[in-house]
Amino acid sequence: MKKISRRSFLTATGILTASAALTACSGGGSTGKAGAAASSAPASSAAASEAADPSKYEVTEPITITWWHALESQYDDLVADVVKKFNETQSLITVEAQYIGAYKDINEALVAAHAAGTGLPAIAVANTDYVASYGDSGLFENLDPYIEGTSYDTDDFSAGLLLSSQFEGKQVALPFLHSTQVIYYNKTMADANGWTIPEKIEDFTPFLAEVHKTAGVYGTVVPGWDQWYFETMYLNEGVQIITDDNTCDLGSDTALGVTSMIKDWCDAGDAYFATGTDASAAMRQNFYDQKTFSVMHTSSLYNNYVSKCPDFEVGMAWYPAASTGDKNSEVGGCVLGIPSKNDQATKNAAWQFLQFLCGKEVNMEWAEGTGYLPTRNSVLETDEGKQFLEKKPAFQCIFDNLNLINPRIQNSAWSELATTWKNYMEVIMNQDGDVNSNSEDMVTEIDEILADHA
Amino acid sequence: MKQAAAGAASATQAVKADKKPFFSQRTLSHFIDFLFVLPALILLGVFTYYPIVKLVQISFTDWNLLNDTWKYVGLKNWQWLFAGSGAKYLWNSLKVTFLYSMGEILVTMVGGMLLALLFNRMTRSFGLMRAFVFVPKYVAMSSAAVVFLWILNTDSGVLNYLLQCIGLPAVDWLNQQSTALPSVLMLTGWRVIGYGMMIYLSAMMGISQEYYEAASLDGANGVQKFFRITLPLLSPTTLFLLVTTFLSSMKVFQSVDILTSGGPARSTEVFVYLIYRYAMVDFRMDRAATAAVMFFLILLVITVLTMKVSDRSVTYDS
Amino acid sequence: MATQNTAMDNAALIKEVNEAHKHKKYSVGYHAQTVVAVIVTLIMLFPLYWMIATSFKSAEEVQLVIPTLFPHEFHPENYLNVLQKANFMKYYWNTIVMTAGILLLQVGTGVLAAYGFAVGRFKGRNALFYVVLGALMIPLQVTFIPIYIMCANWNLCDTFLGLILPEAVSAYYIFMLRNTFMSIDQSYIDAGRIDGLSRLGTIWYVLVPMSKATIFTVTLVTFTNGWNAYFWPKIIAKNEVRRVLTVGLAQLKNTFAGQAVSNYHEIMAGAVLAIIPVVILFLIFQKYMMTGYSKAAMK
Repeated sequence: MKKISRRSFLTATGILTASAALTACSGGGSTGKAGAAASSAPASSAAASEAADPSKYEVTEPITITWWHALESQYDDLVADVVKKFNETQSLITVEAQYIGAYKDINEALVAAHAAGTGLPAIAVANTDYVASYGDSGLFENLDPYIEGTSYDTDDFSAGLLLSSQFEGKQVALPFLHSTQVIYYNKTMADANGWTIPEKIEDFTPFLAEVHKTAGVYGTVVPGWDQWYFETMYLNEGVQIITDDNTCDLGSDTALGVTSMIKDWCDAGDAYFATGTDASAAMRQNFYDQKTFSVMHTSSLYNNYVSKCPDFEVGMAWYPAASTGDKNSEVGGCVLGIPSKNDQATKNAAWQFLQFLCGKEVNMEWAEGTGYLPTRNSVLETDEGKQFLEKKPAFQCIFDNLNLINPRIQNSAWSELATTWKNYMEVIMNQDGDVNSNSEDMVTEIDEILADHA
Repeated sequence: MKQAAAGAASATQAVKADKKPFFSQRTLSHFIDFLFVLPALILLGVFTYYPIVKLVQISFTDWNLLNDTWKYVGLKNWQWLFAGSGAKYLWNSLKVTFLYSMGEILVTMVGGMLLALLFNRMTRSFGLMRAFVFVPKYVAMSSAAVVFLWILNTDSGVLNYLLQCIGLPAVDWLNQQSTALPSVLMLTGWRVIGYGMMIYLSAMMGISQEYYEAASLDGANGVQKFFRITLPLLSPTTLFLLVTTFLSSMKVFQSVDILTSGGPARSTEVFVYLIYRYAMVDFRMDRAATAAVMFFLILLVITVLTMKVSDRSVTYDS
Repeated sequence: MATQNTAMDNAALIKEVNEAHKHKKYSVGYHAQTVVAVIVTLIMLFPLYWMIATSFKSAEEVQLVIPTLFPHEFHPENYLNVLQKANFMKYYWNTIVMTAGILLLQVGTGVLAAYGFAVGRFKGRNALFYVVLGALMIPLQVTFIPIYIMCANWNLCDTFLGLILPEAVSAYYIFMLRNTFMSIDQSYIDAGRIDGLSRLGTIWYVLVPMSKATIFTVTLVTFTNGWNAYFWPKIIAKNEVRRVLTVGLAQLKNTFAGQAVSNYHEIMAGAVLAIIPVVILFLIFQKYMMTGYSKAAMK
């Protein structure tokens, strides 16, 4: 079984839940199959049968390990500080942090190094949608024996986040820096016009038109450089993207409806689909320059948005609910894993550092220094969590919806599928491509990819 | 490797069928001469010829870089490339590459010729200006590309600013299909036009003044002289430029990678970029290798054709 | 060979004199040509000027709706930022070592092979030379997949050897040098032999000195090609440890992502840093570098 149905995750889990009770009743609005969910839920105990031997994972000799991350130069000081703290806590392991590039770049480098079997980092971050492919190909080490062997407590992680770093029940990574899709909007402009971001997608379309008409600016911007930003709109309408019989349903009427909706926004000038070399920078610049009322982006960039917009207040809103009533979002950001082709000594050292990076002590430091969310219940529930909200009040909308953040679709063909999808979306949105015929071609191609990976 | 070399030497010996001792002075001398070319040959073997064989082999497998194992799948990739969903991307990139090549050839030849005529005055100041026109050739492509990225920027680019100054609308240069390839060609043109100029200029130097004087006596004007004397006499140079530019332009990658990443909607996806994307982005070594073999065959055909057209370009042995 | 360079100057002089007569130096056409030539030169220089001007601007100035032709205030710290924060120091070192390695190996294998093919006598010499010529048709853009896999298997990813080895021999270099060596009169070589020169001695004392100009120009071309290489380094050295300038420059946008929307002032500083050595070389050896290519054309 190469893929895990997203819907089955959905029914079983609430992500980032602050309380176990919430977990139990979350995702009630979705239509997944409870049976499938039951089989994948008690995943973390699956590897418990392996004999636990703590001495196997001890670090006994001095070692220097590398850590590949995607934290850009603005986080240099933070990274240096965390690494320094770790290097000071113990004497054997020295960590060297290396910035490799965006998630895409890390993926390319990691896969290449894995194929070569050399040049691998001891520990690396991976975007949430690579977990399946790294688990499937064995790129990431199964961490269950380590967790078991060192009696590492994973219960404190938000259950859903823990789940989204698993593949086929194996804990191949641990939650690190997480975010979700949100809408940033110009609160000053909204207040002046008496606007609020609609709760439902059917109200969102006329809303965008109104913003466009009244203020003469774009209502919103849909990022086209990463399908993560729009895939959630499909999922909420009930599109599975990869169905249970391993085919793509992006050509279904429901999916075509979403595609047409976005295209209608773009064609009317109420929104635009951001693609191209400078797409992300240009989108943000348009927001800062108040050429667009809102943008769809990742919650992790909150600090940036606020610091770059001194002239107006930045608001953060949840994506509008789909016609099905679902308003789930997907987890973004990155997990931490240990490449399996490292030698055991390196892996052991990496395991120590991994625990530190995901640990309680630095969890809040990450969350405050970056725009990422706290990943631990003990942090969320405590005063620290409250202080966090006081500092970043806009995050209220995320805290309100924590239980609606879902794991990514986990399929080893995902990366290839996503590239194809993005390319076709660009043709449809920005190159006058016909929705139906392009979707048809796209599904043919994606089905081929899925079959190749099956 | 020494054994192989010795084998070659003894083979030489065998062919000669001399009655001299096994390692005659002559054979030894030949062998030592052979040793001089050996390092280059070994490196070419390992890094040029062997990979071609390997490439063909991979094209018959299902090798994905993510997987540790692979198996032979027969003609599946070839079928995919020509008849499957890969076909439209293949033709698209062939079309894009061809258009790009035509553009680069045009700029190098026509632009180069015009500049050669413009800068043909042999004074110090013109020499300096020629150097300025030529220097982009030596500017690293990535530096040049990021500058053009900046100049062509839709919102803050200086080109759009200038367009708006003279009352024209701003153009989304790199993000629309109609202007993306011309934008890439703008960058290429900036880098190669001075080269075309220098080549033509030094060829023009070689044309004897007597032709022009004779033509003047016949009452020919400047334009007539150009078309009747300069252009025909420069035809070997033109042919040389055509062949070399064509072959080098087929390999374009870097400008596309930095300026457009093959977009928008694959409108600048040249052949090398297509191969690169399959190999290093999708990790589909099988598909990438198949496309690469195809690319090799195309280069081969073009080379053979140009060899037929112009003996000159291949008169390596004098 | 050396005379060929001055030949152009002589021809230039003659032409200049001729032209001065023809145009009487003051005709309308003469001035028009000057004006157009100056304008074209300025246009050609503009991207370079814009690169340098932008590299000294502040982030705010870069974002101005009306671009400023000249920086309002100078911000040389852009360069420091790029060198330190974006690690261009490291990229510089990597580029230098890679270029030096490629240069040494290409010149080494090139000179030896050119001798073998031009002066050496052995069976199959011409056939083997076609093997070299054939390599001209097989660029790295075709073969990079298997080469990449080989390098990976030999642990050469993110190493200098991995950057250098696939470029260690240049068919073009061998071809150019072999032709030059062949144009040298056999009597010089024979004379050297009589004086007791070994093969290496012949190369060092006879062939190389007599083809200095060609070797120099072709080596300059090799140097700039190495310095400006992008395709292979991008594939083999993904890790920052062995990233070269050209690749680092292309990625500079990501390095600063999120920090400033447009960091073109810093990207341009990086662009300037990346071309300085080659542009300096060009200024010094302008004559060689401008004729380097045309020589190939005239063969």
